[in-house]
Amino acid sequence: MGIFHLETNCKCGFVFQIKLSYKQNYENLEDKKSVKMEPSVLSLFGKQFVRGISTTACACGKRNFKKFPIYNKRGTRDFKARQAKNPHPDVPIHTYGVRPIGYKAGTSFMKINELVPEIIVPDLTGFKLKPYVSYRVNDIVQPPMTPEELFGAVYVKKITEDFKLGKLGPDNQPLHPSPEESLSPEEAKEKVLAIRSDIV
Amino acid sequence: MRLTAMLSKIAKYSTDYSNLPESYIKRAMRQVYWEAPKDLPQYLPVTLEKKKFRYTMNRPWTEEFRRQNLSRRKKVFVEPLKEWTFFRGDRVEVLVGKDKGKIGLVSQIIEERNWVVVEGLNVHYRWIGKTDDYPGTVIQSEAPLLVTNEVALVDPTDEKGTKVEWRYTEQGEKVRVSKRTGHIIPVPISASETIDFKTKAGYPEQEKDTRAADISEHTYIPQSKTFEMDLMEHYRLE
Repeated sequence: MGIFHLETNCKCGFVFQIKLSYKQNYENLEDKKSVKMEPSVLSLFGKQFVRGISTTACACGKRNFKKFPIYNKRGTRDFKARQAKNPHPDVPIHTYGVRPIGYKAGTSFMKINELVPEIIVPDLTGFKLKPYVSYRVNDIVQPPMTPEELFGAVYVKKITEDFKLGKLGPDNQPLHPSPEESLSPEEAKEKVLAIRSDIV
Repeated sequence: MRLTAMLSKIAKYSTDYSNLPESYIKRAMRQVYWEAPKDLPQYLPVTLEKKKFRYTMNRPWTEEFRRQNLSRRKKVFVEPLKEWTFFRGDRVEVLVGKDKGKIGLVSQIIEERNWVVVEGLNVHYRWIGKTDDYPGTVIQSEAPLLVTNEVALVDPTDEKGTKVEWRYTEQGEKVRVSKRTGHIIPVPISASETIDFKTKAGYPEQEKDTRAADISEHTYIPQSKTFEMDLMEHYRLE
């Protein structure tokens, strides 16, 4: 089926597509998406010419915005020259993810020491682990530690010993509590917050 | 997953043999036409990249593969196989070509194209290193053979090619059985070979490899401390 597109601009700003299509034995006009006017039939070579209007916009809303952001090396020579002197507020200089270590005051650059990243590398003397693992090693699967495991590592030994030796008082509280056992929830939270951690 | 998506993916044997991490292979194969800038909110996170690759004799993370896949070529139809029956070091009989009837060892497998390269068979000769005065050297290069109809596994009992099926033994082990005689064709040891080692136990440990003893050591002692508290005490910042 042949379709010829003609674009006309209306006062309201919409662009209508007027399709001139010739059809052969077209049964259901409702199948077509475009709104059809009264078909004015012209027969040419045994085929019928039918006029219609499509109310969908020309490009179906598709636009190519891929080259839209005019970063550092994009743009005309004039534009780049103007940007170098006085960058336009809407087109800031793109740093590609590099974080600033200061700010520019006029022509000079003011460095702020607190913005300079400080990389803390621990002392690796006597460190046995190396970048790669030998193929001879069998796959070790260690799931993440659960709270039960932590409890087991910190409290279980003392509790079992106390129980065997009968050092548990009424209500099964320890008679001689260890530092961890004597810690109350409020005290524990205070200790944690005192070191400026992000636990709320 | 669509069959086409499954076929355009790299096969498991290729990643196993190379010992390369999957993330590296993905990164090396990537051919991005355009990617939306991540810092601009008006763009949806869209990446226009090449999805369908034509697998060749070169490995997918190599530069030669990239060059071969830069332009769009005619589509290649690969028969999807349920199970893969050929392994490195298998004895196979060539069924087509001028080496028809000959038996050779499988040296290379390219599962993505159902290919198998037999050592020394189905060869052609080509000249390399040709300059203006020097005619170059002739080298022998094996052409790949299709696993479906150009090659057959050799039955060790009668030294002839047979059709093979995967069956289970009484013990529950999955084995290859020759359809003609019913004998089991064992999987060769070199099937588990990789580019770095022939067997894991025989791998020579290098300078930068961590030994088994160091890895399995338990150095972490769980304590009821937060990470920050532990660091404070370690560096004595209190």
